[in-house]
Amino acid sequence: MIDCDIHNEIGDVEEFLSYVSPAQRRWFRGQHQVGLPGYPWAHPHSFYRDELEAGPGGEPASRIDLVQREVLDAYEVDAGLLTGDVGVAVSLMPNPYRAAEFARAHNDWLADRWLDAEPRLRGSILVPAQDPAAAAAEIERLAGDPRFAAVLLVGGSERPYGEPRYLPILQAAADAGLPVAIHSGGEGMGISPAAGCAGYPSFYIEWHTLGSGGSIMAHLVSLLCHGTFDRVPGLKVLMMEGGLAWLPGIMWRLDTNWRGLRAEVPWVTRPPSEVLREHVRFTTQPLEHTDGNDALLWQMLEAVGAPDILCFASDYPHWDFDPPDRMLARLPAEWRQRVMHDNAVELFAGRLALREAA
Amino acid sequence: MSRAWHDVASVDQLHRDGVVIARAGGREIGVMLDEHSGRPVAIRNRCPHMGAPLCKGTIRSRETGTPGSYGLETDRRVLHCPWHGWEFDLDSGACPEDDRMRVAVYPVRVEDGRVLVEA
Repeated sequence: MIDCDIHNEIGDVEEFLSYVSPAQRRWFRGQHQVGLPGYPWAHPHSFYRDELEAGPGGEPASRIDLVQREVLDAYEVDAGLLTGDVGVAVSLMPNPYRAAEFARAHNDWLADRWLDAEPRLRGSILVPAQDPAAAAAEIERLAGDPRFAAVLLVGGSERPYGEPRYLPILQAAADAGLPVAIHSGGEGMGISPAAGCAGYPSFYIEWHTLGSGGSIMAHLVSLLCHGTFDRVPGLKVLMMEGGLAWLPGIMWRLDTNWRGLRAEVPWVTRPPSEVLREHVRFTTQPLEHTDGNDALLWQMLEAVGAPDILCFASDYPHWDFDPPDRMLARLPAEWRQRVMHDNAVELFAGRLALREAA
Repeated sequence: MSRAWHDVASVDQLHRDGVVIARAGGREIGVMLDEHSGRPVAIRNRCPHMGAPLCKGTIRSRETGTPGSYGLETDRRVLHCPWHGWEFDLDSGACPEDDRMRVAVYPVRVEDGRVLVEA
């Protein structure tokens, strides 16, 4: 089983800061949440599962043995992708130079403190998307490092990721043979515009319902309308934690609109849903709770390419975690092998897979 | 299977730890101390939603309200699942938000310094 979304936390801030350049360390130390923008809304109870053991800094998942015991061993995970947590908001910092330094430090900290210690874990490369040239340079710096399996972008953004300004990031990822993972979150944070397309929502429940899925929809439609996958043919994108039940509706709508409006984007020469099947994958969590209508959900997802487009993710240690054993039992039997394992092996070109014994 | 009373812990242990997990009647059951009422409650330690260890959650009063105003039903106690936050009524085991979801609640009594659960 492969878990495409395991969050690890910065518990020991001083340990993390030791990877930051001495010239910038004092600034990061003096900021709330090491300089990263936060949400306008807090979860009403906790962003994390309540029962997990607290590690350094009082955070769960902030020490390798916690991740090993609570997710890798507990669910017999063959390989898991570490996606950090608050660090993904680096692209929403107003200061691009601080952001580049944070991303570099986070990548080195991840490699040193986590990836070296546990062969089942691979990392995702954080990049400062607000400075695409710097982001591409960071990808190139780590391109040959087999401990990293993806480039990580955040759902909140200044413009949707099909915009040409982001091409250097997408090209560098494709050149390195790494998929770009776009993880929901950060919408309405820092330099990102408000979540939900209608101004700031009032509640966390609104953000969690609309904001996170909304950014993923926007990036998906943008990448397809800009012909991004013709510009960067080797590009693979993994959409993370944006929900799934909306996908058939959006793709039916986009394909229909393309037939009537294609003159605006004449470089799009095939139905966008066809391009999606070749280049885009989605993590399963949080798979919608369907109130007894799972058969309907599977049927709708099949219409847009499931099970081949789905990769399992647990989202440990967050409150809306999907337990692997429950997901396995819930999925149609003939989907299980692909969703829980094979699709991720293909997407990450073997970088995220059970490591062969030396 | 006929039900029987099971001795699951000492009262001292329950007061010290706040929760005791035991197997009784073929089920994993958690006995939790509700600090508000001071009484122990026994609940199956498995959330019907996704299988979380329910008794690692927290017991609290239920938030209530009318549009635009917040209130608290101090005497209505619910167990809040540690994973997804679904709530279960301590008396009935029912999830007020989903009538398909219900967790088993067991009779519990204290006798000679021991906590007994009928399961």
